[in-house]
Amino acid sequence: MMNIILDLLSKGLWAGIAGVGFAILFNVPLRTLIPIWFLACIGVIVKFTCMHFEIGIITASFIGATAVGIFALFAARKYYGPPLVFSIPSVIPMIPGAFAYNMMLGFIDLSTVVDHDEYIRVLSFTSSNGLKALFILMGLAAGVALPMLLARKESIKQIEHNKN
Amino acid sequence: MKDLRKEDKINIGSTLLEAGSLLMSSGASTMRIRHTMNRIANALGYKIELMITHRALSITLIDEEGEHLFSRIKRISPHGVNFRVVSGICHMSWNIIDDKWSLEMINKELNRLKSLPHYPRLLILIAVGFADAGFCHNIGGGTYEMIISLIATFIGLFVRQEFMKRKFNPYICVYLAALTASFIACCSRFIPLDIMTNKALATSVLFLIPGVPLINSITDLIDGNIQNGIIRGINGLIISFAIALGLLTTGLIFKLQLL
Repeated sequence: MMNIILDLLSKGLWAGIAGVGFAILFNVPLRTLIPIWFLACIGVIVKFTCMHFEIGIITASFIGATAVGIFALFAARKYYGPPLVFSIPSVIPMIPGAFAYNMMLGFIDLSTVVDHDEYIRVLSFTSSNGLKALFILMGLAAGVALPMLLARKESIKQIEHNKN
Repeated sequence: MKDLRKEDKINIGSTLLEAGSLLMSSGASTMRIRHTMNRIANALGYKIELMITHRALSITLIDEEGEHLFSRIKRISPHGVNFRVVSGICHMSWNIIDDKWSLEMINKELNRLKSLPHYPRLLILIAVGFADAGFCHNIGGGTYEMIISLIATFIGLFVRQEFMKRKFNPYICVYLAALTASFIACCSRFIPLDIMTNKALATSVLFLIPGVPLINSITDLIDGNIQNGIIRGINGLIISFAIALGLLTTGLIFKLQLL
């Protein structure tokens, strides 16, 4: 049990570093770097916790991205900036790199394999990885967009502004 | 309002166009651009009608009595993600409402935002290198794989920046970066250590993934800006294709049999 938690935390830590790396690439304001680290951490921890309880990786990614989207709304309010500045770098660590890579390798092989049985095997490998990559990506984008759509305004600032 | 000088109308329109095109090229979603420009225009006492596309922005300025004042189209400069500008303009649009900013102040702020520096180049290279090392860790790579992924990313991103500086086609820049990064990661096969080349290779090109175009694409589609959503999605797909082509080239060079 302890091992699982430590593994989860180390994954979260590195996901945070990945998120901050992309945030720097996207030139975010300096004050948002620490919240982005936390958001990326939370997203990956939620995702892997879901997967530990045997929820499929697509749904787990969607739930993780939704968590990021919700916390990004609060971060946007606290650290002044549109939510997308916080949420996009934070979900990038959840992008299904390995699946997309396997799909690419599968395509490369498909173009050269001659033997029929081998072809079927490679085809099923490629399509299963490719579909997973595609649906995870859609789940991530939808998960990030969902909290903003539920808030029904383009920014949390608008809601505050209307109250006053 | 009626005796507004002609130059004033032109100035207001141009400022709005400038703000909108900066937002578009810095990676804001279509809905956000529309809301932000409307907010600025309303704060200055005008109404606007907009047509927002991926590479051009068209505006019509209307005064409160519905009289047409000004129309113009502006081309949008090539896209490069810069969230500092997006954040700054959105922040500014609220200041304009709250503190009743004048046009000169808005222009000054836009110029300031445009001239804001990026992070130092070395910091970007190292941070993105560590980002890919993080990816590598999370798909189960060990220390060696992480180091290889870091080095490959560092050099790959350097190559991309150099070609971008020389104004190559952006997709070709991505292709060359993917080729360099995957080539370097693949070279780790010749190191006499127990290294899972697969994992280093898979994560060494992840710094190129078009995260912003793809996520903005889905956001636009959900918001109902279907045309822009499709365009952004296809842009993301072409970038992915360029990455795949880079990997494919490496695969051919090393005769990869990884399946």
